[in-house]
Amino acid sequence: MKQSTHISLFDELLNEPLNRLVEQAMDEKRVPVGYTCSYVPDTLLSAGKLFPVRLRAPGLAGTELADTYLSNVICSYTKSLLEYALGGGYDYLGGIVFTANCDHMRRLMDNIEHLRKPAFIHTLDVPHRRGEAALDWFTDELTLLANKLSEHFAVDLSRENLAAAIGNRNTISRLISKIGDLRKQTPPLITGGEFHRIMTASQVAPVDLLVPLLEDFHRIAIDRNGIGHYRARIMVAGGELDDSSFIDIIESTGGLVVADRFCTGSLPGLDPVPENGDPLRDIAEHTLDKILCPRMMEEFDERASAIRSNVLEYGADGVIIQTIKFCDTWGVEGSTLTSELRSTGIPVLRLDREYRPGAEGQLRTRVQAFIESMGK
Amino acid sequence: MNKNRPSVSDYLTHAGHIVLILSSFARLALRLGPLGLLRNIRRYPWILTLLRAPFLMGRLAHGRTGLYREANELVISFIVSRMASLLYHTLSGKSNCIMHQEMVPPEISHAMGLSVWPAEILSILLPIIDTHAAERYIDRCENEGIPPDICSHVKMTLGIVLSGEMPPASIIVSSNLPCDGNMTGYEITRRYNNATIFRLDIPFNFYDERAAEYFAGELKRMISWLEENTPGRMDWDRLRDICDERNRMAEAEIELWDMISARPAPLAAEPVYLSHLWAFNIDPGNPIATRHFERLIEMAGHNLSRGVPAVREERFRAVLWNPPILHFADLFRWAEEEYGVALIIDSMSYNSQPLIDTTSQDTILRDLGKIVMQGPMARHTRGPAVNYIDDIFRIYHRFNLDMVWVAGHIGCKNTMALNQMLREACREKGVPLLIIEYDLSDPRICSHEGIIRQIDHFMENVMKTGRLEKTGELAAQL
Repeated sequence: MKQSTHISLFDELLNEPLNRLVEQAMDEKRVPVGYTCSYVPDTLLSAGKLFPVRLRAPGLAGTELADTYLSNVICSYTKSLLEYALGGGYDYLGGIVFTANCDHMRRLMDNIEHLRKPAFIHTLDVPHRRGEAALDWFTDELTLLANKLSEHFAVDLSRENLAAAIGNRNTISRLISKIGDLRKQTPPLITGGEFHRIMTASQVAPVDLLVPLLEDFHRIAIDRNGIGHYRARIMVAGGELDDSSFIDIIESTGGLVVADRFCTGSLPGLDPVPENGDPLRDIAEHTLDKILCPRMMEEFDERASAIRSNVLEYGADGVIIQTIKFCDTWGVEGSTLTSELRSTGIPVLRLDREYRPGAEGQLRTRVQAFIESMGK
Repeated sequence: MNKNRPSVSDYLTHAGHIVLILSSFARLALRLGPLGLLRNIRRYPWILTLLRAPFLMGRLAHGRTGLYREANELVISFIVSRMASLLYHTLSGKSNCIMHQEMVPPEISHAMGLSVWPAEILSILLPIIDTHAAERYIDRCENEGIPPDICSHVKMTLGIVLSGEMPPASIIVSSNLPCDGNMTGYEITRRYNNATIFRLDIPFNFYDERAAEYFAGELKRMISWLEENTPGRMDWDRLRDICDERNRMAEAEIELWDMISARPAPLAAEPVYLSHLWAFNIDPGNPIATRHFERLIEMAGHNLSRGVPAVREERFRAVLWNPPILHFADLFRWAEEEYGVALIIDSMSYNSQPLIDTTSQDTILRDLGKIVMQGPMARHTRGPAVNYIDDIFRIYHRFNLDMVWVAGHIGCKNTMALNQMLREACREKGVPLLIIEYDLSDPRICSHEGIIRQIDHFMENVMKTGRLEKTGELAAQL
């Protein structure tokens, strides 16, 4: 599926963690703070001179050292991050914020702390359910983190600054959503691969510096005639996915990825943060209300329902649930979710994959077979 | 070989415990009715495995003598008797029976007049009795699409559910402990049973008053939910009595720990860890369980005063970290015989927060909450690595040990990811460490022979010793 040449500007940002926009921001004395999970509120890391960078491990060749520390039964995203960290790949960061989101992430934090001893490291204790008590708890957690960030980085995380960060975040999310909505059209004006690059770039570069690129891309995209031939509209759901080549492979078989309900995707990642006057509580509410990851133990029905709604909204013909091998939460939920969606007539393909791209031929064959099974 | 010849009295005691076990089964048959029992055996074929408990007792008693042998028999007949009672309450279809996930404290439900079926109990007991008991349930679970890398303990429980062999429950209480696989798996159990479920949320960082308050709030929410959804009603006086009784049992266990800290230990292995496993997880607050510990103290005291060791030639004292190797229940009997290794304590038994302040409802809930959060397995699988690693050294010194054996269950990703850090810490402190690579419930991953080979290599290369028989031969040659 043909992609705009303009998208190469986003691609450049994804080849190295220390990309030109991160360098530009650092030259302006701004501080990048790494994070690993969509339950770390990036808005909180966007206040003052801070800016968030989602940890990735692009171009990593292997995880030999990480295998020794994390064992060979831990998900390859986690191991890739550790390997990258051990090679000094994140040394440019001012600090890293983790969540106690899953067993793998918790142990990644332990091992990074043990082996690299970052100057600033913090683990957010995100409750596994919603409700008033959980919201109070998580608001307190964010307050603790905000105080720690203020003290360590000498940043002003006052109510006004946090409110401004929320406002900026919502403005940029609206802009990216506007681009994402171009996938709803028939035919869509952008490919899934293009949008995935935009989404990922927005998580690894200071978003304010990305705005001109986003506006340019939107201007060009709306003047297009739409994507040419495709066989089926696909929704991709599941866990962490920051490598656009996975989407490219799906699209190379004629499946157009029109909706991205996964950890690093726009659904529900771009939902606006509420602006009710208490920024930390607003951010806490926004984080806990995210219907996304099976680590939230009470929301299976809502997760399934959200996927069904997105299928209708984006006109998807089928859903690919992609999970990284050894992920316990998605591993168990994947089987239940697959049968639940199939029982409502939605075609589903469940794909286990590794973090790093590989087994391209096998993946292509499975996606082709899936599209054919839908009669497309 | 470190093996004694049992006396006539040993054989008579053994026979007495077999009679006790058979009478427990007979009582169950009488209460359910012979036809009722047969119907249940047809529906729940694992009952047949439970009926083989006397063989397990025979395996554990083999090569052991005196009070140590009797303590092994005592713990098996105690568990069988209590399991028979639990089965009766669960299988008789009473409306007050609810399902609990293994880390949910039963004290509260018991105080509410509810009967608790611990969902994971079969996945613990069946492989202990029959090495291969887990296999067909694990296969069933994997055939339903659950990835093979998920913990086999979780897969076995889900396999029992998906095979229709788990006693049905319309009310379930679960939690986010001890691991992601278990937490997520409860959605399958809920859907299969079309049940209503309550899930307790345990914080990651729990060693502070904020966490204690949050989790006490969770327990209050659980009580309200149970009152809304079950016939159970909270009886605070009853809860106080249960907690007081639990405290007595915990004090008895601490006394037992003090006794087994002596070298050589007067009791070891199964009487210590199986007693804890059942009494504190299934029967806390039950005077029968307290009496069981008091009986163990008597036996240990008797051995101590007469200078009789549990293991005839106690050469090494070990802690077993992580859950015991379920499908190889007589591993430590073997290790005693072959190497003179006495299993003094295991990580699942050692509770660092054992007592409950029963002065008010709030103190009870706060301390019960702390017991859950800071209990074995919970405190090791949540919080930072220090919770796991430092605890090992604390126990190592507390019980005067010589080595650390880690049951490196391949399905426990949480702990697998800490093994290298643990190796480095042990190397630094000069603590001999054996990590046994195996699977908790599935002997097809690593056979008993494979486990024995790993132990042989460790004893030879790290401990610089051989099996007792060979060492004896060598000494004779010299």
